[in-house]
Amino acid sequence: MNDPYSVLGVSPSASDDEVKKAYRELARKYHPDNYHDNPLADLASEKMKEINEAYDSITKSREGGGYGGQSYGGGQSYGGGQSYGGAYGGGAYQSQSQSRQQGYTGPRGGGANATYAMIRNHINMNNLSQAEAMLNTIPTHDAEWHYLMGSVYWRRGWMDEAARCFRTAATMEPGNIEYRNAVQYMNRGGQAYRPSGMNTGSMTNADICTICQTIYCADCCCEMMGGDLIRCC
Amino acid sequence: MYGYVRPERGELRVREYERFRGVYCGLCHTLAARYGPALRFAVNYDFTFLAMLLAGPDEPEPCARRCPYRPTRKTVCPGPSPAMDAAADYTVVLAYWKLRDGAADGRFFPALGSRLLAAAIGPAYRKAASRRPAFARETERSLAALAALEREKCASLDAAADTFARILAAAAESAGNGPRPEAGDSAGDPPRVRAVRELLYHLGRVVYVLDAADDLASDTAADAYNPLRYRFDTEDGRLSPEDEAGLRVTLSHSHNSIISAFQLLDGTPYTAILENIIYLGLPAAAQAVFSGTWRAGRRPGREERSRL
Repeated sequence: MNDPYSVLGVSPSASDDEVKKAYRELARKYHPDNYHDNPLADLASEKMKEINEAYDSITKSREGGGYGGQSYGGGQSYGGGQSYGGAYGGGAYQSQSQSRQQGYTGPRGGGANATYAMIRNHINMNNLSQAEAMLNTIPTHDAEWHYLMGSVYWRRGWMDEAARCFRTAATMEPGNIEYRNAVQYMNRGGQAYRPSGMNTGSMTNADICTICQTIYCADCCCEMMGGDLIRCC
Repeated sequence: MYGYVRPERGELRVREYERFRGVYCGLCHTLAARYGPALRFAVNYDFTFLAMLLAGPDEPEPCARRCPYRPTRKTVCPGPSPAMDAAADYTVVLAYWKLRDGAADGRFFPALGSRLLAAAIGPAYRKAASRRPAFARETERSLAALAALEREKCASLDAAADTFARILAAAAESAGNGPRPEAGDSAGDPPRVRAVRELLYHLGRVVYVLDAADDLASDTAADAYNPLRYRFDTEDGRLSPEDEAGLRVTLSHSHNSIISAFQLLDGTPYTAILENIIYLGLPAAAQAVFSGTWRAGRRPGREERSRL
């Protein structure tokens, strides 16, 4: 294993707070939501694992060496039980993570049948041409068909076509949360970590209206899932 | 070539800016050394970015070279490296096919000019293609696919952008240890090659879409193919505010994919410059294209020459 300090990019003499800060920054960088259905998601989770292990090993060795004053449990690291949710805007991203954890296998959307389950499986395994070939053999294009076609496009990097497919699916079946989430994700333009000082550049014109809208949407989503993001509304 | 992939100069440290200039000059010298002085014309910002992206963790020893355009003083640029050689080879391959593409253009005199130039750099192209066979094949195949899409007036923005994106993505082969013999299934590639390929794919997509947006008015006036004309049914060569917002969102997805892929790469001497280009330069270029100041703001001279 690499030196845990070099993994976190801090010197061995760094204070506990500095280590924690560096760890948090890296955890934000490689957070799964930044690699939502991304073909490189496996590489990001590798990195995440690496920094979690490095952080855990540093905290453990410091506890043993008398740093125990501010006990950092193993549960402190990301994915180890302590939720990072609040820091990332809460519910909207969490519900995204949930839907990703379920993957494409769950029979949802009502119209799920064996072929669609197989196609979802292929998409999950990144067998995109196989999934597309199977989709093309299906004569009737219902909402789920459009959703799955959109997923194939998305994984391929064809974001414009993906957005159109998701929109069609959501229009055909307005009550479906999965489709609506996909449309919302597409409308946001995706997300990625930006270091401080580098976060001014964006391709979209996010004005205050859009931000409010997004927060309101996130709140509604949250409430739908039984939680709440903004207490007062 | 296009020039959208450039740093936001005001945000660079002076030493970073000098290093960037050095790589630009280094690419120019590499082109001259590998393909003859005439090929210097092909040097451009986009492939300067590529040379830095493909660079390994250790920077080659710097060397001082005299620039033929500014013979009075020497510039300091990085010495020869595999990444610089690769970037020069790709530059020549793409320059040749862009000229061939221009030769197929309908108008007589521009087409003649392109044909003559393409013939002139033919020997250099053959040399470059023999050094990077997979990249040359992908470029030829993708530009043929793009020509077919143009003929059928394809309304899918993604399909059109895919052709150019694939060309850039093919350059990821050099991110590993030397070119692989055959480009086949990409799943078995080392992580670095996978991340660079994903980055370059989306960079190619952004460049293509920005170029389409920039050319929309002139293409509409000349009745030439532009995917945005058919994707958004534009009449007067302008995007409606809603369509422009939609286009920005799709660009934002690609931009975020570029960033996510970039963050998986290990640091090199050029990381700070690459960060500047990716985080700040690209959005600034997009902003300039959409506000219509890109064309107006283009400085003549050196940068104009660097366009293929």
